[in-house]
Amino acid sequence: MTISGQSRESAAPEPVIDVCDVSKWFGNLVAVNEVSLQVYPGITGLLGPNGAGKTTLLHMISGLSGPSVGEVRLLGEPVRENATIFRRIGVMSEHEAVYGFYTGREFVEFAAQLYGLNPTKVAVDRAIEAVGLTEVQDRPLRTYSRGMSQRMRLAATIVHDPEVLILDEPLNGTDPHQRIEFQDLMRRLADEGRTILISSHILEEVEIIADRILLMVSGKLAASGNIRAIREKLDQRPYKVRILAGNPRSLASALIKTDAVDSVAIDPDEAIIVLSRNVSALQRSVPYLAQELGIRLLRVEPLDESLESVFSYVVER
Amino acid sequence: MKPILMLSLRQFSSRWRLLLIFFLALLPIALSALMATLASDDSEYAEEFTNVIIDALIIAVLIPIVTMVLATTAFRHELDDRTLSYLILKPIPRSLIVLPKLLATIVVGGLLVIFSGIIATLLGPELDAQAVLAVGIALVVGVVTYATIFTWAGLISSHALGFSLLYVFLWEALVTSIFSGVQYLSVRGYVLSIINGIDGNSFSTLDERVIEFPAAIVGATVVTALFFWLTVRRLRRMDVP
Repeated sequence: MTISGQSRESAAPEPVIDVCDVSKWFGNLVAVNEVSLQVYPGITGLLGPNGAGKTTLLHMISGLSGPSVGEVRLLGEPVRENATIFRRIGVMSEHEAVYGFYTGREFVEFAAQLYGLNPTKVAVDRAIEAVGLTEVQDRPLRTYSRGMSQRMRLAATIVHDPEVLILDEPLNGTDPHQRIEFQDLMRRLADEGRTILISSHILEEVEIIADRILLMVSGKLAASGNIRAIREKLDQRPYKVRILAGNPRSLASALIKTDAVDSVAIDPDEAIIVLSRNVSALQRSVPYLAQELGIRLLRVEPLDESLESVFSYVVER
Repeated sequence: MKPILMLSLRQFSSRWRLLLIFFLALLPIALSALMATLASDDSEYAEEFTNVIIDALIIAVLIPIVTMVLATTAFRHELDDRTLSYLILKPIPRSLIVLPKLLATIVVGGLLVIFSGIIATLLGPELDAQAVLAVGIALVVGVVTYATIFTWAGLISSHALGFSLLYVFLWEALVTSIFSGVQYLSVRGYVLSIINGIDGNSFSTLDERVIEFPAAIVGATVVTALFFWLTVRRLRRMDVP
């Protein structure tokens, strides 16, 4: 199930990032399951809870790993086994390890040299200035705080002025002030026509700056588009819940009188099956009514796991 | 290539590792000097020197152990701490990532081993310049070949050091000593054959254990090229953490 919040794909002729029917599995574990998506210039947020498959997907998009099936193209080219494409893209992985013996400046200069820049000085100066670390650039990276290290990694990622930026959890370890600076920098880079894909498991981090959201749940692309549109679309879908209670018929009668549910049924196992489009109200009503009627709640469980995840992730935050 | 070479040299320059290599490299020199002092009048001195110092110590132990200690970690550390992506996500051919890694092993460990082998030979039973040249060239071939094999091993397995030790002591040391035909598939066999091929007079004691000189050259070249290619291929196709 993929919920589309807008139809930008049909308007834009050539996606910068084109992921086509991609799956990735490790043994019996399916990490990414038949995902297709397109990313266009501007800032796109890749959201999802931890373990949703974001990093695996970003690894495939950046060529660090190959899909089990499907194809990934960047700027019209295959990304896997195509080293020259890295002149045009910058990737910052989620792993925060750095060469601790390098100073911040040496680290960025190392990246600049590998990108083939010559001379490197101007580019290195500009990148370090962009992340606001000029004053500490000559300190060894092992002495940096986590946030400073992340920013210097970002400087090394943008030093060659790439057209496409792929950033996996770039805000890890940064404080609120650094986040605002990061958001300003991303907006500036996007306004210059770049394509930026940022992953995060925290909606608020990305919601502010992203033009478009890709929402991953359990290895699948659960929703895409504008965050507001996604929320509206999700609200329109009924949410199915199974409730086991001490006195199911009394609780079902009480539930049907509330605005929280669309329909209530009792299955042969005496479990209440509720359909609801108002999850928040349902979550409040069930325990409230059970307590009021003196009914013992034995179990409340969603029957549509992926939808539940989408709801809990998007609606509750 | 230079930035990756410099990076690799810094990664290799941990104190304990350098101390270990330095200590190992001193062993042949010390034993050679000891042998020259205690046994130089012995009629079998030259034969013993070749068998013990050149073959058993330098070729069978020193070269593989030193190159193993360095080469198996050339990529392994970066895989373990997940910094390999800093190299992989750059617009450089994978061969130009592997080559400086190999060079770093050769520079840090190989030169020391070669230097140690040459000094030990000079301290030996009045061997001439051709003998020193033979040992020097053969050790270069051995270091390069082993470094290529172990670099590949470090890339494909997190237990590369263990597997490499098994390979060295079971295959290179034990099996090649028992079955003469295996010399065609043994780095130790190539190295001994090159020494014997360049200076057959000084190292005539190796006559029974060597293969043809051209076969040794071709064998070492093929093994080096094969494992270099396998390493580049692996780096190109692997899933980088």
